[in-house]
Amino acid sequence: MKTIQEINQKIKNGDAVVVTADEMTSIVAQNGAQKAAEEIDVVTTGTFGAMCSSGAFLNFGHSDPPIKMTKTFLNGVEAYSGLASVDAYLGATQPSQNPEIGLHYGGAHVIEDLIRGKEVELIADAYGTDCYPLKRVETSITLDKINQATMVNPRNCYQNYAVAINSTDETLYTYMGTLLPKFGNVTYSSAGTLSPLINDPYFNTIGMGTKIFLGGAEGYIISEGTQHATENERRNGVPVSASGTLMLQGDMKKMNPEYIRGATMPKYGPTLYVGAGIPIPILNEEVATRTAISDEEIICKIIDYGVPRRSRPVIRETNYKELKTGKIEIDGIEVPTSPLSSYKRSKMVAVELKEWIEKGDFLLTNPVRPLSSKGNIVKPLEISKPLVMVKDIESKPVIMAYSGEKINDVAKKLVDNNINHLPVVDNDGKLKGIVTSWDIADGVAKGKSKLDELMTRKVIIAREDESVDIIARRIDKNNISGLPIVDKENIVKGMITAEDISRLIGENLKDENGGESI
Amino acid sequence: MKAWLKFLPTIVNKAIMSDAIKIYDIDFNILRAHINPRGGKMLVEISGPQENECIQYMEEQGIEVIPIMRVVQKDSEKCVDCGACVSLCPVKAICIQDDWGVEIDNQNCIGCGFCVNSCPTKAISLME
Repeated sequence: MKTIQEINQKIKNGDAVVVTADEMTSIVAQNGAQKAAEEIDVVTTGTFGAMCSSGAFLNFGHSDPPIKMTKTFLNGVEAYSGLASVDAYLGATQPSQNPEIGLHYGGAHVIEDLIRGKEVELIADAYGTDCYPLKRVETSITLDKINQATMVNPRNCYQNYAVAINSTDETLYTYMGTLLPKFGNVTYSSAGTLSPLINDPYFNTIGMGTKIFLGGAEGYIISEGTQHATENERRNGVPVSASGTLMLQGDMKKMNPEYIRGATMPKYGPTLYVGAGIPIPILNEEVATRTAISDEEIICKIIDYGVPRRSRPVIRETNYKELKTGKIEIDGIEVPTSPLSSYKRSKMVAVELKEWIEKGDFLLTNPVRPLSSKGNIVKPLEISKPLVMVKDIESKPVIMAYSGEKINDVAKKLVDNNINHLPVVDNDGKLKGIVTSWDIADGVAKGKSKLDELMTRKVIIAREDESVDIIARRIDKNNISGLPIVDKENIVKGMITAEDISRLIGENLKDENGGESI
Repeated sequence: MKAWLKFLPTIVNKAIMSDAIKIYDIDFNILRAHINPRGGKMLVEISGPQENECIQYMEEQGIEVIPIMRVVQKDSEKCVDCGACVSLCPVKAICIQDDWGVEIDNQNCIGCGFCVNSCPTKAISLME
């Protein structure tokens, strides 16, 4: 049994024994936890991953004449300035307001540029008051010139996280990176054995006020982060899904761009790569055992991001040892894996923190209070205005073509019913393809006579229990005008078209405007 | 070897490549091509025992052959070794080294550009 005070005395004397979390795994495997607890004083952890819930409070100082900023832009990225007159919070994921730049530059990039010492353009508008008469300011700032730049990240250092895969036929662009169709790749984001909250899974040493490594400088844990969860299933003591989180703060003026990077997940948006490391004082054997966790013992779940719902299906379980081999087997097929956090930089964080402590530059802290370890459940957001589901709008009896049918008959069906698409079904009513009036014209021009030869077999479909908003996005993304609605057995139940959705929006607007459409 | 082949307008309608393949029995893989009646260029991979003779022949026929060492370039200042690109490479030309750094093997790279578009820090670019 050791106390933090005793460990700090050793650090001051220059004889504290500090190891990184991955080193600790092999030390405990060799010597046992009891001996390791006696010999090792501090284990350093580290992570360097895309942490979207990050940002910074900036205070620009007062201009002459003064201004009370209400709309504030830094290099074209909006910062929220609804607090006092010259304070703003710049969020990492806020994209540039310039549509030509869009997702390629955002709050995260502004943060990196400031830390690099670059000049950043500041434009702010105001409504003007007696004490703050100025209505617009256009200037440039640097990190040195402004009063404060305090990074405050509401949710960092997730304790484990889901692993992503995509079962659909199209490439998906997500916060988990680019996901190739048909289980084409797997992405994961936790640093595994080095990850801070995985090494102290019950928050025995990490708490409010703990001094940490943040972005290459000293930082602190403010509290649990947002969406902090404590009740998820655990294996080997560690939650198997996204659980505990931390709210962190640090002084941007002391940070190093090696450990804070602006990035853009393709077609998803800006995010901030944050390097964070937490020292764990080895107070006893229990703490030593927890820090010895290996990649193999950290279990996580591969989730299908092809299902755009809050609750996504689990494809299988895995662990970080398997993920780090670069490939994983799904249904007998080898699928390549990608880490999204940099293990190399995670290790750099843990090593640098270790060096700070060894040099006596960094003392450990007693938490002011422990992090909540019980009763935290992430609540969903219920949508009070009910979503319109696909099954709510299908109305007309569906007209279908049969796969053996002759083109002439199909053409007649299209003309008689004044429609452009026909789902093609087999004798059981199961979807086989789709045919449009263009396909018919094209088929006739090329001398084809059977429907089989000219229908499109790869059909983009809608399901009855999907919301119309999701279908509208699918129509837009695939540049199509209508899709068949099918049930679980793939039996065609109807058609939904862009016109159906336009009509629905028109009706909603009428309702909201007391019968007047706008 | 990988090389850019540059075609002048005067030779775009000649079947030089098919002749070269027939005469020298080489493996010939087109990675990228932009050729129209005003000329153009194509990025190819050529291999076989008579590779050098084949290149000499193409040059005699008026094709400018510019061998390249790199198909893509990774800026090590921008790269944070996150590995997002690794699983997207269709030819396994990107891998994570023993020190957890990300390396691109230009020998295997076919220049598809998938990694270029997927890189969160825009650290990879196609060589022109």
